[in-house]
Amino acid sequence: MDHPQLAWYIGGPILGLCVVAMRWLLNERLGATGAWSEVVERISDRRPGLGTRGAFFVGLVLGGLVYVLVAGSPLFHGYGWLTDTFHGAGGNVAIVAILLVSGVLIGYGAKLAQGCTSGNGLSGNAMLSAASTVATGTFFATAIVVSFLIKAVT
Amino acid sequence: MNLATRLAALAVGLVFGGVLCWSGMSSPEVLRAGLLLENSYLFLFFAAALSTAFVGLRLLNRFGTRSVITDEPLACPTQRPERRHVTGAAIFGVGWAVADVCPGPIATQLGQGIAYGIPTALGLMLGVWLYLRREQRAVAAPAPSVRAVTLPDPA
Repeated sequence: MDHPQLAWYIGGPILGLCVVAMRWLLNERLGATGAWSEVVERISDRRPGLGTRGAFFVGLVLGGLVYVLVAGSPLFHGYGWLTDTFHGAGGNVAIVAILLVSGVLIGYGAKLAQGCTSGNGLSGNAMLSAASTVATGTFFATAIVVSFLIKAVT
Repeated sequence: MNLATRLAALAVGLVFGGVLCWSGMSSPEVLRAGLLLENSYLFLFFAAALSTAFVGLRLLNRFGTRSVITDEPLACPTQRPERRHVTGAAIFGVGWAVADVCPGPIATQLGQGIAYGIPTALGLMLGVWLYLRREQRAVAAPAPSVRAVTLPDPA
């Protein structure tokens, strides 16, 4: 990694406070999938403009931009196991295809589960919503199994 | 929907996104090391975030009554688990493990100018769109069992 990682006991609580701030200020459940969904609903003419979640989405993108401006570069090079496994022009096409399909699974799955790592994993669990706990257990277990499967075949 | 509401949501997103980058949550290397149980950072980070949110929301519900900007009674919606939460989370989990990134960090990758974030973001939007389309069709064409209720009683 290019830069030091923020300690978990500082970064984690700040994310938790963001969940609290969203409820305290706006009475909203913080969730990145809801933010993406509002953007898609706007593009596909299902809603007239961007609201709270759309503004949160813009904030997320700006957060990435501010980080790069302050730190000078992203925390990492390449793209994990994908750039370690696939090389050259053909490899890049494979990586783009894999990321595109993964993105579809992430978007569709998170909408079906009514939340992702932030909406269910943080906000839902913090409200002791049983549906979020089931979803969180399922996505962590699935992701751990799939990560070991990828390690076994690469 | 006023300016203050939007600005507040944007500010929370900015902090959330910045911390996701600084903590390495937008880095596929960090995510993968966590999911392969080689590094405890992901789980410690997640547990610290969740416990802070839990305590914070508890305190809010105890001392706060209405939201500061939108002036609404503070809600704490909970839901019973259904099949969709398992199926959806399993589908999500596969994508999450392959791309080693989840929706918040994908948005921050775009802000960081990481080109590999573009196909993941386009896929995510396509997945959300497919879900919205399916949901819309389900509303337009009610399930047969709903129509059966309207049939006249044979007796």
